[in-house]
Parts: sequence; structure tokens; C-alpha cells
Amino acid sequence: MARNPVKDQVAIVGVGSTGFDRHGTRTSAALATEAATAAILDAGLTARDIDGVVSTGEPGAPPPQLLAAMLGLTEVTHYPRSTSVVMFALIDAINAVFSGSADTVLVYNPVLRLPWNSRSANEDPFRRHFSTGVATIPESMSMAVAYTAWASRYLYEYRGTREDFGLVTVNARRNGTKNPLATLRTPITMEEYLGARMIREPFCMLDMDIPTDGADAFVVTTAERSRSLARPPVLVHAATTGTAPCPAEDQLADLGHHGQHVVAKNLKAKSDLWLDDVDVFLPYDGFTIITLGWIENLGWCGPGEAGDFLRAHWDEATNRVLINGRIPVNPHGGALAEGATRGSGYVREAVRQLRGEAEDRQVPGAKTALVTAGGFFFNSQGLVLRAG
Amino acid sequence: MPTDAGPTDAGPTDAGPTDAGPGAEGVSDAEVLARYPTTTIDRDNKEFYKGWLRRQLLLNRCAACGHWHHPPAPLCPRCWSREVVPTEVCGRGTVHLLIRLHQGPPAPGVDYAQGPYPVVTVELAEQEGLRFTSTVVNCPPEEIRIGLPVALTWIERAGAPFPVFEAARNTATATAARKG
Repeated sequence: MARNPVKDQVAIVGVGSTGFDRHGTRTSAALATEAATAAILDAGLTARDIDGVVSTGEPGAPPPQLLAAMLGLTEVTHYPRSTSVVMFALIDAINAVFSGSADTVLVYNPVLRLPWNSRSANEDPFRRHFSTGVATIPESMSMAVAYTAWASRYLYEYRGTREDFGLVTVNARRNGTKNPLATLRTPITMEEYLGARMIREPFCMLDMDIPTDGADAFVVTTAERSRSLARPPVLVHAATTGTAPCPAEDQLADLGHHGQHVVAKNLKAKSDLWLDDVDVFLPYDGFTIITLGWIENLGWCGPGEAGDFLRAHWDEATNRVLINGRIPVNPHGGALAEGATRGSGYVREAVRQLRGEAEDRQVPGAKTALVTAGGFFFNSQGLVLRAG
Repeated sequence: MPTDAGPTDAGPTDAGPTDAGPGAEGVSDAEVLARYPTTTIDRDNKEFYKGWLRRQLLLNRCAACGHWHHPPAPLCPRCWSREVVPTEVCGRGTVHLLIRLHQGPPAPGVDYAQGPYPVVTVELAEQEGLRFTSTVVNCPPEEIRIGLPVALTWIERAGAPFPVFEAARNTATATAARKG
């Protein structure tokens, strides 16, 4: 068992969300403050109780000291700006609470449609200040394109088919129909998936998450304090991030050695709870290949077998995955339906499920959630949460 | 993203200082910056792009242990030697990753309306896992696939050389054409 002194010592005690949509006109600050106040109130706390603020550093997000000022926080002792994909910020907050840098920390994650990933955002004059960053050329396998590149390799090495990817989307869209916060709440069929517009072959429109506007926020404090707060505590049992040697996405060694493997190995070593204990599984689906990767690399099945695994565990009655007839995969619809929350939607849904607050998405008696956010290269992350 | 806080590297035609005079092939800092105006060029990768102007693909190779790496970094990731030398590769390899862009960033000579634009990552002959990403030219789309042997060639884009690949069987012809 790996060293994990923070195990069950820190709790998520508040969650807040604006919900997500593709036509919003609110600023990142408006979204972040709505989610933040909702999360603090959800915990039964006030501005006076928050002494740490951590940003996920999304484009447009107010820096943490400014958000603290907007919320009227009186004394803040920990306020770093982390980086995108939520668990970098969440783990920072957990460590801050465990070390005593702060007692009760707010993590906020506002996301916006941006001019380079959304036509409507590109037409919004109040978003013209978002720079497009470094000039890109077609001959690049960097950043988002890299997932399409390695999806091509996956199909080549394992003789897979696009249906393997499509199962991830069909599952997500079915689950999204039951999430009132989701951007897309209509199901799709495999035929619709296969007929969707190709963007970066082998990926079509429906292999990629949806640019969206919205925010989630979380409040983290000690497990001890959590017992006297408003909601059932959700304990952080194990958490890690991971990256493998990869100076650029096209130089990744292979599909068997990347960030997900680092996360899977270390999370398993830190956690007393593993796949047999999991009640709800929330793997990232910013691109469908990422989900197949998590299913394989966490050990639900072997390399190249995720498509067959999904078919074997498909629940025909509800047209979605139920592992062993019991464990849903992204019951909130993931990023493919809820929208590109960059990790926060999965964590929020895990908390709701473990509190028993997931309404008609609820997994009966859910006690353990496995959340694996991020992709292959620079932002793989894992989190085991348990009901306190 | 590396940033260059120092003064602009100026070539011999400019009044400012230079890191080094133009190499034997005569490419100055100012020239490479001018010829690739939208490319992020810094002191760790400028020799890589100067090589493009001479139609040479120069990847960093460690003088101490012989290990290649890409993209250019200031030290060898295997032995930590800082003696990394931009060294010409033979340009042969096989397609390792392949996508076809049905839409994508604009570039001179790239017209997505004409059909999906192939982008490939080529595993180079010099070392397992050493790869370079570009496109494949002069090849019917259906023949471009993972595993295809390819060889380096060059096109002109926006008035400057740009490295691309072609199917290896065409290499002799293409080389002869260039020399001709």
C-alpha cells in the first residue's frame, strides 16, 4: 500500500452548479460566483468560513484573489491559480486543508465557449478579447488533435471499429437525458453516431465533447469538521494525477504507457477500495478514446477490449452501459452530453450520488465512486470518493 | 510555452546583437525569424528552423550518449548532457499516426473542400519512438495508411521551405526531380 496519509481525512462538503448550455451570455465571473455561493450555502457555511480559494485557471476565469473579493471573503490564506482539468485544483485544495494552509477551501471551475471552438462564441463581440493563442498549422498532432491521432493508432493496433467509440457516445447521451444540468438531453442512436459529420477522421462531431458555458464549485474541509455541516460528508479516500514521459503528444511512447497508466497504478496503490467496490464510475469522455482508455487501463478489461466490454455490459432495456448489471458509467451524461466541464461535472455527480441526491439517476445505496478525469498526456487524474 | 525575455536576435543586417553569426550556410537569426513569422522560434529551436531554410531536417541528438529527441529541448532527457546537436536525419520512416482533417486551420495550399487533408506522424528510421509530424504529398488518399513507408521531401509554403513526406517508392524520382 502506497503512502496516503490524507486518506479519509478531508471531505467535499459543498457543491454548486449553474448548469451548462450553449447559448449563454454570462461572464465567467458571473458563472463562477453563482456556483461558488451555491456551493458554500450547500455546505451550510457563509463567506466568513472560507479561507482558501483555488481556481482551475480556465480562460476568462477571475483569479482567486479577485473571486475572493467578489464574494467578500474576509481572510484568505491560500489562493493559488491551478491549471485546467479540475483535479489539479481539487487536489491542491485537499492538500491545503490537510496541511493546514487553510481550513475550508473553495474550488471554482467556470468554463466558457470560446471563439476558436464555438461559432456562436466567435460571433459574440464580448468574447473578442480571448486570444487564439499560438498560431496552429494543419500539420500538428498537438493538444486536442492528439486524441484523434492516437485513436487512429488504437483502431490500427486492435483492429477496432468506430462503433467502439460510438458506444461511449450513445451511453453518454442516454444518461444525459436524466440530467437537468446537461447541455444536451436528447438520446442518439448508433446509426446517428455513424452518420454524423466527420471532423478529424476517424473522429466525427459526436466523438468530441461540447463547448459549453457554466460553472461548478466545491467546498473542501477536514473530515472532522464535515461531520457537523449541513450535508452528508463525502470523504476523499485517494487522489492522484499522473503523466508519463511525453515531450509532445506525437512522441508518446505508445498506448500502453501514458498518464492513465500512472494514475491507475498509483490510485490503486493508495486506495483500499477498487473496482469490485465501485458503485458509480465516472471516466472522462472529452474524446471517446479517452473513455475506452480508462476502461482498459484501470483494469475493467484488457488493452483493446473496451468496445467488447461495453457490448458485454450493455443494458438493452435502457440502451446504456451497466457494468455487471449495476454500475452506470457517467450517469450524468459526461462531457459528451453535459458539456465540456473539464472534469468538474464528474466530481459533482459523484458527490450527488454518494449523498443520495441524484434523483432519477441515483444508484441505490451508492457508497464508493471512482472518478478518472483527463486524458493521456498531461492531465490524467484519479479520485476515489466514499460516503462518510 | 518558452518565452524569450532577451533582446531580439538580430542578423548581420541589423544593428542589434546576435547570439552567433550566420552559420556556414549563411542563415542568420533575423532571416529565420523573418521567413517563419508565425512560428514560435526561440533559442532552443532556432537551428531546427534554420535547417528548414536549407531543406535539412535537423533533430537534436546528444553528443554524449547519441540519443535523439524531438521537439528541441536544451538537454538530453536520457543523460542530462547539454551538448545537444541539431543533426540531419535521413528522412525515411513509416506512418505511425494518421488523421484526415475534414476541416482545420487554414494554410496556404490546403483546401479542405478538395477532400480530407492527411496529417501523419512518421516514426523515423534513426530511433524507435523518434517521430516527426507533417503531411503526405503526391500520394492517392487511399494509399496513405498507418505502416506506409515514407521519405522526407520539401514544399514551399508562404515563400519558405516546409518539410513533408511522400510514399517511399517515389523517393528516387522526387530526388532526381529536385536535383534536376
